[in-house]
Amino acid sequence: MTLALWPEYAVVLGVLATMLAGMVSRERTIWGYWTTLAALAASGVFTIILWASGSLPRSLLHGGLSIDAFSMAVNGLVLVAAAGALLIGWNDRRYGGDFPILVLLALLGMMVLGMANNFIALFIGIEMLSLPLYILAASGGEGLSTEAGLKYLLLGAFSSGTLLFGLALLYGAAGTMVITAVVSPHLILPLAGAGLALTLVGLIFKLGIVPFHMWIPDVYEGSPLPVTTYMAFGTKVGAAAILMRFLFFGFSLASGWWGPAIGYLAVLTMIAGNLIALAQKDMKRLLAYSGIANAGYLLVGIAAHNMLGAQALLFYLLPYGLSILAAFAVLAFVAGDEESVSLDQLTGLYQRSPGLAAGMAVAFLSLAGIPLTGGFVGKFYLLQAAWAAHEPGLAVGLVVAAMIGLAAYIRPLQRSFSAVDGTPAPIRWPLAGAIVLVISVIGTIGLGVYPAPVVHIVNHSAAFYWLH
Amino acid sequence: MFLVWLLAVPLAGAIAALIAPDKAAKGVAAITSILALIGFAGLLLINRSGINWNWIPQWGIRFHLAGDGLSLFLLGLCTVMFVVALLASDASLGRAYYFWMLILEFSVVGLFASVDLFVFYVFWEVLLVPVFFLLTGWSGQAGKKAAMKWLIMNLAGSFFMLVGVVALAIIHSQNGAGITFEISRLSGMAMGGAVGSWLFFAFLVAFMIKAPIWPLHGWMPETYRESLSPVTAVISGVLSKAGIYGMLRVLVPIFMPQLREYQMLLLIVAIIGLLYGAFMALRQRDMKMVTAYGSLSHMAMMALGVFSLTAVGLLGTNFYMVAHGLMVGGLFLVQGLLERRTGTRSLDKMAGLNHSAPRLAAYFLFFVMGVLGLPGLPGFAGEYMIIQGLIGPHPVFAFIAGFVIVVAAWYMLRVFLAVMQGPPQGQGIKDLLAGQVSWLVPLAGLVILIGLWPAGITNHAVPSLYHVMHFALAKGGIR
Repeated sequence: MTLALWPEYAVVLGVLATMLAGMVSRERTIWGYWTTLAALAASGVFTIILWASGSLPRSLLHGGLSIDAFSMAVNGLVLVAAAGALLIGWNDRRYGGDFPILVLLALLGMMVLGMANNFIALFIGIEMLSLPLYILAASGGEGLSTEAGLKYLLLGAFSSGTLLFGLALLYGAAGTMVITAVVSPHLILPLAGAGLALTLVGLIFKLGIVPFHMWIPDVYEGSPLPVTTYMAFGTKVGAAAILMRFLFFGFSLASGWWGPAIGYLAVLTMIAGNLIALAQKDMKRLLAYSGIANAGYLLVGIAAHNMLGAQALLFYLLPYGLSILAAFAVLAFVAGDEESVSLDQLTGLYQRSPGLAAGMAVAFLSLAGIPLTGGFVGKFYLLQAAWAAHEPGLAVGLVVAAMIGLAAYIRPLQRSFSAVDGTPAPIRWPLAGAIVLVISVIGTIGLGVYPAPVVHIVNHSAAFYWLH
Repeated sequence: MFLVWLLAVPLAGAIAALIAPDKAAKGVAAITSILALIGFAGLLLINRSGINWNWIPQWGIRFHLAGDGLSLFLLGLCTVMFVVALLASDASLGRAYYFWMLILEFSVVGLFASVDLFVFYVFWEVLLVPVFFLLTGWSGQAGKKAAMKWLIMNLAGSFFMLVGVVALAIIHSQNGAGITFEISRLSGMAMGGAVGSWLFFAFLVAFMIKAPIWPLHGWMPETYRESLSPVTAVISGVLSKAGIYGMLRVLVPIFMPQLREYQMLLLIVAIIGLLYGAFMALRQRDMKMVTAYGSLSHMAMMALGVFSLTAVGLLGTNFYMVAHGLMVGGLFLVQGLLERRTGTRSLDKMAGLNHSAPRLAAYFLFFVMGVLGLPGLPGFAGEYMIIQGLIGPHPVFAFIAGFVIVVAAWYMLRVFLAVMQGPPQGQGIKDLLAGQVSWLVPLAGLVILIGLWPAGITNHAVPSLYHVMHFALAKGGIR
């Protein structure tokens, strides 16, 4: 057993332990949550040890998995996502006792996506990520949730098929399964072109890029709140990580094939996502479209195709994820026993709970990209990458989208800070969710005020020598 | 180190005001703002050393603040206006109001002091947030619309400026000179061609929206109409100066060739704005809107000073910013006092108030005279210098500017006549209270001091301006 996979082993052991806990006592589901949390903590500790050990990068399974600083950073991000989702849904009877197990299983898929360096590992990662999420999406019971699960399953299966077909064609064109072993100039052109296109479609479907974004609003709306949180943060991390590794490691020399396409898709996604978000009345749908737009921002880092872009993408995931966690934590508090929050329900939030309103303000201002929040630094990073790549169009597209996005994010804020008549009901703060909210708010502000340490880590994690 | 004080005190005070009970919030805020004013006195008189800390070393960003001649007196304007505006606010507004006001002071201080473009941008955008909440939370449904308009218009400008900020630094580093956001280092860079022009307009639009200058003043009427008078005083007296300050701080050193290239266009825009503001002010029936449009016209006057690209014009602008800020802020506050006493702002519903409130009328007249540019008060000195800078190279524009000063006298005196003179209508109003006199007297005294001794400011501003112009000279020069 090599030390390099211990973060993943910890998750696997966590799955087994959680299943056992569920068998030992059906009544006390809380045990499963504790074992899951312990597994997440252990995995995090192993990730840090590995990071600091200096034994990286390592390549396992004949180049199938490459464990490097980049995959460690992805590990860290998805662990935060899983912990956040778990705590927001802490011991909630509505979602059944298998909620933590499925969270862990999907986490495993995300971790594999972070280090996959092989078409098969890539596909396994995508499937391991998706299958638990299909179940999770449907775990809210009859009605919208079942519909969401079914929709996600059908469309997800379709995209997996596309992905698999594309990978098969690429294997035929390249003669190898290992991403880093693909030699772009030696590819058989029509085959490789079709393969690359189909694979990209499969991957950006998971990321939720326009025009493959249709499933996102419905699935986000129908899924239980913690699951939506998990999808909005974790899935995006996994999909963005593998997309970047796939394109930058395998097809770096052929960037003429995919660079312009990704660039146009990025601008289209950013602008369309934010525009549609403007019209939303339901907060989950609003955040769903915001997630689409943010996936577009991530694509900017890939389209820039330079080291700044890789770093900016990796950096951006953290403030984005923290803001999403904070926003969904607030929504979970406000929703209480319901499954979603409409824009009108936010009116007077400041009077009901000033703390929640403040937390939401930080989250939304960060998503909008106001300075002294992490979201601003992330966008600033992406802008640098776009400009350094001599792509002013990308930079302008990003700021235009940010402007539209601002209008979308400011409406809920204005609602929550306007007064209502009478004495509104106060809101209960569950402890676990409160921890998520406080940590993510502090993190969001901290990233905005002093981003240098994270920038340092990111510089180290995404320093690919063949880019400049 | 007094700059650290100036930044830290409002921030700490903001948090203290938020924690304090609603009744004590005003006291906390007032004390905080006075402490900040003391900090400014220390900066002015004792030690002017700046701050230069590493912030994000990977991108060459330093937390670099400096109180030089360009910024020193704007910092003074900011600290003075916040003391006055906070003292003039109602104690019943609650702690959130004082929290946002102090956050606003924090961000404005940071903006005026920063000499690193990234830091400048951060504060530039941060200050939109407190104003947004001040507009949202303390005014009616129309105030919410005004807040949206304020935020979206300003952010539209500043997002394009963000592209400019990033582009300047990246171009600087791609030229092989290292990545930096330091304005003084960026200004050493020669930049021409289409990229230079695009970046120039990205910055210019942001500055013109913030000032505001016609035709980008769309947010102004509603914001001024709906905001509480202390907030209006701060927006018009201090925040609007940020746009002009940005021109002096960023455009003149970095984009001198572009300024030269588009000078005629810019002068024409500023002249149209000057006339538009003045004639709109003549037509208003709401005394606050007269002042608002008058202020629009005066902002265009400052822009004229910048676009004259002469040393005297720039100096005049720098001086006029401080003078105008003090006077227009005072005027908005006095009008706020009037509005609270009469319950209206309409010129048709007020008359002859000087009979019942002679002291209030006196202060009203004083600030009206200051704004319209009475010799002996600082507005005159500023306008004089701006016109002197214009008259050599562009005598026609100088003539129009002189004409607008006459119009300014017309619209300002019209307000005074309508409100204060003539036969009194109905019951009189209460005169000034002691608490209100306590902040009006020092403010008026300061205005007189600057009016009688403009050199107190210009002598300090000259060295910094020459520093700015040193770079500009290398790129085509200032006459």
